[in-house]
Amino acid sequence: MFKNYIKIAWRNLLKNKGFTAINIIGLSLGIGCFVVIAMFVTDELSYDRYNEKAERIYRINSDILFGGTNLVMAVSADPMGVTLKNDYPEVEQYTRLYASDGSKLIKKGLEHIDEKKVVHVDSTFFDVFTLPAIIGNTRTALTEPNTVVITKSTAERYFGSPDKAIGQMLETDDSGNTLYKVTAVVEDVPRNSHFKFDFFFSMANINYDYGNYLSHNFHTYVVLKEGTDYREFNKNFIEVIDKYILPQASEFMQINSMEEFEKAGNHVEYSLFPLTDIHLHSSREIELSANSNIQYVYIFSAAALFILILACINFMNLTTARSAGRAKEVGIRKVLGTEKKSLIWQFLTESTLISIFALAIGLLFVWLTLGWFNGISGKEMQINTLLSPLFLVFLLCLPIIIGALAGIYPAFFMSSFQPITVLKGKLSTGHKKNTLRNFLVVFQFATSIILIVGTVVIYKQLQHIQTAKIGFDKDHVMIVNNSGIPTETRRSLKNEIEQLTEINSASFAGFLPVEGSSRSDTTFSTETVMTSSNAFNMQYWRVDYDYLKTLGMELIAGRNFSPSFGSDSTAMIINETAVKLAGFENPIGKQLYLGGSNGEDLVTYTIIGVVKNFNYESLRKNVGAVSLRLGNNSWESAFRFNSSNVNQLVDIIESKYKAAAPGMPFEYKFMDESFDSMYRQERRVGKVALTFALLAIVIACLGLFGLATYIAEQRTKEIGIRKVLGASVANIVKMLSTDFIKLVLLAFLIAVPIAWWFMNKWLQDFAYKIDLSWWIFAATGIIALLVALFTLSFQAIKAAISNPTKSLRTE
Amino acid sequence: MLLQLEGIFKWVNTGGRRIFLLKDIDLEVEEGEFISIMGPSGSGKSTLLNVIGMLDGFNEGEYNFLNEPVHQLKEKHRANLYKEYIGFVFQAYHLIDDLTVYENIETPLLYKKMKSSERKALVADMLDRFNIVGKKDLFPSQLSGGQQQLVGIARALISKPKLILADEPTGNLNSKQSLEIMELFKQLNEEGVTIIQATHSETNASYGKRIIHLLDGARDDYNK
Repeated sequence: MFKNYIKIAWRNLLKNKGFTAINIIGLSLGIGCFVVIAMFVTDELSYDRYNEKAERIYRINSDILFGGTNLVMAVSADPMGVTLKNDYPEVEQYTRLYASDGSKLIKKGLEHIDEKKVVHVDSTFFDVFTLPAIIGNTRTALTEPNTVVITKSTAERYFGSPDKAIGQMLETDDSGNTLYKVTAVVEDVPRNSHFKFDFFFSMANINYDYGNYLSHNFHTYVVLKEGTDYREFNKNFIEVIDKYILPQASEFMQINSMEEFEKAGNHVEYSLFPLTDIHLHSSREIELSANSNIQYVYIFSAAALFILILACINFMNLTTARSAGRAKEVGIRKVLGTEKKSLIWQFLTESTLISIFALAIGLLFVWLTLGWFNGISGKEMQINTLLSPLFLVFLLCLPIIIGALAGIYPAFFMSSFQPITVLKGKLSTGHKKNTLRNFLVVFQFATSIILIVGTVVIYKQLQHIQTAKIGFDKDHVMIVNNSGIPTETRRSLKNEIEQLTEINSASFAGFLPVEGSSRSDTTFSTETVMTSSNAFNMQYWRVDYDYLKTLGMELIAGRNFSPSFGSDSTAMIINETAVKLAGFENPIGKQLYLGGSNGEDLVTYTIIGVVKNFNYESLRKNVGAVSLRLGNNSWESAFRFNSSNVNQLVDIIESKYKAAAPGMPFEYKFMDESFDSMYRQERRVGKVALTFALLAIVIACLGLFGLATYIAEQRTKEIGIRKVLGASVANIVKMLSTDFIKLVLLAFLIAVPIAWWFMNKWLQDFAYKIDLSWWIFAATGIIALLVALFTLSFQAIKAAISNPTKSLRTE
Repeated sequence: MLLQLEGIFKWVNTGGRRIFLLKDIDLEVEEGEFISIMGPSGSGKSTLLNVIGMLDGFNEGEYNFLNEPVHQLKEKHRANLYKEYIGFVFQAYHLIDDLTVYENIETPLLYKKMKSSERKALVADMLDRFNIVGKKDLFPSQLSGGQQQLVGIARALISKPKLILADEPTGNLNSKQSLEIMELFKQLNEEGVTIIQATHSETNASYGKRIIHLLDGARDDYNK
């Protein structure tokens, strides 16, 4: 019996090749999309789970609201880990990561390589995180100073193999020149890890003022004992604050109790944060790498599910569309004594068979497009992920579920035909009353319209960010890394480059308003004695005389630094936000104070100028307080150029750098590109949304095409009569399209408020955002309508130009 | 002269063989004639009517309608010609199921871009004349076969055609209904409408002033 079902199904599929093709293509697009997203979501959810203790590892987060600045940080103070371990038996182990160095120059042969994936860790690091050793003992590898553990691929890169690497010395530029001995080689850090390091240096080499509870510079992780509730544990931090932090804070400024501190509008809070939540739920300052967002996982999952549903809806529509052709078969089978039940099984077999084909083609799509999807989503997913047992079960179940989901309605619909009616050839049930089908069309188009609006809004917002007034001129600025240049030659190098005709202005300063540049913030007060009410946090950047000019920043009051004023070493330029936080009416000439507690010297700065606010962080945030002072900081240099021949310019500057410091790496980037890279996440989402929107509209149109075919088939006789009565092709096309156009309009009306709500919510993340103007919706509506019309007209015209004598034949 | 067919051939090719649907048909029809086309099933009656009605083309021969050479006209021009001068009546009535009697009769006028008020007047006249005013809001499925065919004829007449083509107009009706319809045709013909009907029935054929016999697609009058 089953074999018979398959045989009939197979022949039917072959008989209607066009239909079968549309059906399978639509469904395989849906399935392909669904599988890719399933892989994406699985990958996102798998982050950091490779650690054996993953469920028990927590990071210490710090939330500090002080002096008008809200610090939401992924780092905490250096003694925090050990304090928790000593005071609370629930804490089994802790480890700290110190990544503030940024990068190191490491010598390989005669060459210096700028390594960015470097970190200093406590010797307990490998006890907390699971990175199996290939050679060496990770338990003891980092207990001594001047030791380093490297990953397998790094060992291969530097020494050829892990075996050759062990015991070798690595030369770095740490405090001039420091040698580290390779004591162990571990497996590479898995892709799905929230940190990606190649070098783990010993913490003992960090020259730090340890024991300071007020500076937050360490990523600290603790392992809790089995069965400990971390939320319950978080309550202990109140005790920690009272016992350790308050005594230090009262030395630093005049506060006597937490109550007093909080009364002035300040707040300090520490908490444990589960390791496995970091990738999707944490976007704090000073993360070890840019994390993803659970919101996008939800959005993508929903979109994938919707697209699969759209594809299933198509299947239903197309299959019922074909039903008139199958009606006779159903009638004959029934007359021959087939039960309704076995007819239903027959049709379900057919739909499952189609789903299996669709799955095969869908997987082919996945295989072909995975690289491209990795590109736009920033993932590195592999096709062999699909061979994992979980995915295999999923892939086996998928066609059965889809076959049932998509086939059940047509199966019941077709198996309920009455044999007498169909055999008489009178199968025309009222086509205007099919609310289910109308609902399906509305659903498909509403989904498509929502996705299109979403895409348009995301792209508009990105464009808005790129053209927003950011307070400095990001175009035509080249940034070069100076870390390889000896400090004493930097000045002459700068002079030399400034002489070039292509260069308008040059500035040596590490603090630039783009991602990846240095940041430093400190607490200032407006009076000599700091209290919790006169203190505020402010970026504290060391720059040179040409900084404002090179970056195109605008002074709105006072003057720039100038060599002609001898006293400019204690002069300061602050931004508008800083003026507001300090509460100055007329800031020029006012004083700001730094330090003065713990026996430190009090430093007094005089404000000489106010710079217009510029965005130094993502436009998602408002501009914080910034102060600029003269200083000897030249890790990076910025060159404003006027040449359009960028390649030539790069060559010239590179030759100058190479001459100044032979054998050192030359690294450069352009400021506008660095600026753009701050919105990588949004750009990815935009691209993925665009893909989904296109897929959705393609699938919806396939569906519409199928429906138009169905309706045309049902109304063949009517079309024939109307033509005989004098209807022109245009009349018929109009008649066939009007009903659908009404449905598309209804879909539009339903989609607009939903799309508006979602996109409004998305835009709320941005401090600088576009308005949701009416034309976005209007344009989307018109596009959807045009696409629908185009699709419909194909079938409608075909029906309209067919010869009526054929459809009206009575014999 | 209303229309003239000269040496009309129509064929289809199946499996390498040419099958003739119409073979060398000559026919002249004057205005005011009532012609019956007779012949067994498959003899080409319907095909001939479709060719005359310009719904179907032919492969060879000449066809002049009101001195217009139909075989040379473009599709659009031809459509305008039959829209203007020809009304069709079918064996299976071919009313539109979803439209009421009134709307069915009105349909041809819609495609002539007539004003709503004019349409109303014409449809009202027609309903009156056929005594079906009371049924104007019913759907075809609520009518008997005879009544449906009455509506079919009313619809064919609404655009005041010169020629009515009726393909087995009483084929689905009982004898009493048939009689009524044939009487109606006779009356219409007396009012000046040219009628060509295809039929199996000798009785119905006898209403025509002239009878044409077809066999296997060719005129077969001379054997009778």
